[in-house]
Amino acid sequence: MRFSPSKIVTITLATLLAVLIFLLPLVAASEYSFRGAGGKGHSFINYQWLVQQDGFASHLLTSLQLAVLAGLLNLILMVPTAVLLHISLKRWRPIVDFICILPLIIPVVSLAIGAQVSMPKIVQNTQYELVFFFVIIALPFTYRTLDTSLSSIDLKTLVEASRSLGAHWITTIVRVIVPSIKGGITGALFLSFALSLGEFTITSLLHWDTFPTWTVVAAQQNILGAIALSVFSFVGAVLLMIIISTFAVRKRSASISHIEEVIA
Amino acid sequence: MSTLETVQRVSSKLELRNIYRKFGQVVALDDFNLTVEPGELIALLGPSGCGKTTALRIIAGLERVDSGRLDVNGIDYVAKPANQRDMGMVFQSYSLFPNMTVSENIEYGLRVRKIDSSKRKKIIYEKLELVALAQKSNSYPHQLSGGQQQRVALARALAIEPTVLLLDEPLSALDAQVRAQIREEIRRIQLSLGITTIFVTHDQEEAMSIADRVGVMSHGKLEQIDQPITIYNNPLTPFVASFVGEANRIPAELAEPGYVKVLEQTIRVANQSFDHSHGLPVSALVRPESLQIASESEGTPGQVVIKSFLGPLTKLGITIEGGLMVHINVASKEVSSVDIGNRISFKIVAEEVMVESA
Repeated sequence: MRFSPSKIVTITLATLLAVLIFLLPLVAASEYSFRGAGGKGHSFINYQWLVQQDGFASHLLTSLQLAVLAGLLNLILMVPTAVLLHISLKRWRPIVDFICILPLIIPVVSLAIGAQVSMPKIVQNTQYELVFFFVIIALPFTYRTLDTSLSSIDLKTLVEASRSLGAHWITTIVRVIVPSIKGGITGALFLSFALSLGEFTITSLLHWDTFPTWTVVAAQQNILGAIALSVFSFVGAVLLMIIISTFAVRKRSASISHIEEVIA
Repeated sequence: MSTLETVQRVSSKLELRNIYRKFGQVVALDDFNLTVEPGELIALLGPSGCGKTTALRIIAGLERVDSGRLDVNGIDYVAKPANQRDMGMVFQSYSLFPNMTVSENIEYGLRVRKIDSSKRKKIIYEKLELVALAQKSNSYPHQLSGGQQQRVALARALAIEPTVLLLDEPLSALDAQVRAQIREEIRRIQLSLGITTIFVTHDQEEAMSIADRVGVMSHGKLEQIDQPITIYNNPLTPFVASFVGEANRIPAELAEPGYVKVLEQTIRVANQSFDHSHGLPVSALVRPESLQIASESEGTPGQVVIKSFLGPLTKLGITIEGGLMVHINVASKEVSSVDIGNRISFKIVAEEVMVESA
């Protein structure tokens, strides 16, 4: 595709503007986070302060644990549901579409208080009830991601081809459908994970302590430490995303080398 | 028993008896009967919506029947789920698993059947050789052309040594040259393996060139099933006559019993079961090659309005009295001097013609 000179100028300006808007605050925040004592010089003192705070590791681990559980629960619930809605329950799709938008419409306060009483008894009054809330708030995003991903493949024919080759439904889902929508599943997992990791409102309303609620308290004690905390959170989220993507690519490579062995 | 326990599968006999299938108010198959002999290749031919794909999907177990019986080697298959039928299917839209390489695609049905690794490797190699794609074993479907993808789909279906091979318009998405090439490959492989095969298509040339017998379908029923040459030369119904090959519909009059008067010639009626007594106007169905250029005294005159060169043959469109256009296929050298606008005469040379109500 060839662009005219005026279009190239417009695209370059727009890109520069976007880079400035996104990168400038990050660069500035990073620079501040490395300021030394009294704001003079540069050092790791703010990051040292951060990791030495009471509850840093424990709250971070709690949040990671809840986010992982929420991500997995989301996939366990939504992948088979989305597949069924695309194969045999097509007429239910508008209803499920609507249900999945509800978490964006219902005020968080109503959701937190109302849904808490309907949680399974086994998790009520434990921090694991947050997992269910995290699944609910991530639902609009995870469902949409999976739905788009499934719409992009010829699901009916793939399922029929797999069945005619002798595969059961579970084999078909695990070995044909899931790998075909791996991008969508990774996206849904990451969205659920990121939303859960950063969720503050419901956690605070239900009086639980996770990393986001802890940061609010910790940030009030040291302004440069608070900036270090926000940079840490951002970089941490980006690193997690890279780890998830790398994991997916490595699994693919392993699968390819296995087949090369079979053929050799 | 695993499909692959037998090294050479015995060709299967397939029988569909009184199959009925309705979708809402639409009857897709109405008292449908078909018997496919072991090792035979049957082409189901018909226009869109005639029920041919439904019949194939019922055989594959991808569609249920409302009533009727489906037997493979005398065993009732109606209640068997698709994954237990051991039938290989090739779809119109390639249907290769996008996340798997060519060899993984072929291996899929074998893994499902828990065939051991060394045997799997051997079968994959054999099938890749069979479809001449050994060098593409590690390619992904998106790296292959349409023709190559369809050959992989064929290899994948054959790898499980199916009882019956089902081909659902497998060449429709391919360009003309590749289509002819793959068609020949399918026939070669089918003959070499002796596998009972059903080939669904709406392309009559495809059906005629590949099949042992062609079944022409209309409105959920088999109008006629016979060898290609019989279907073409002796169609049993006006629908078959007009759907298979080309036919001019020329107004005619019923003459003495069993004969029709068309273009001033009296010719025997091919479909003797046609009701001669109702007195309604009729049309004679005359193939372009059943017409020949004649002298002015013995032929019907007309004006040439179309001349299409088709290599050894030339197709002329001739307008006769009343404005009707008649197509005629003649040897190109015979009409080299004929131009558009010329007047020529022609006559029917067929011994019998099909008639239908006008």
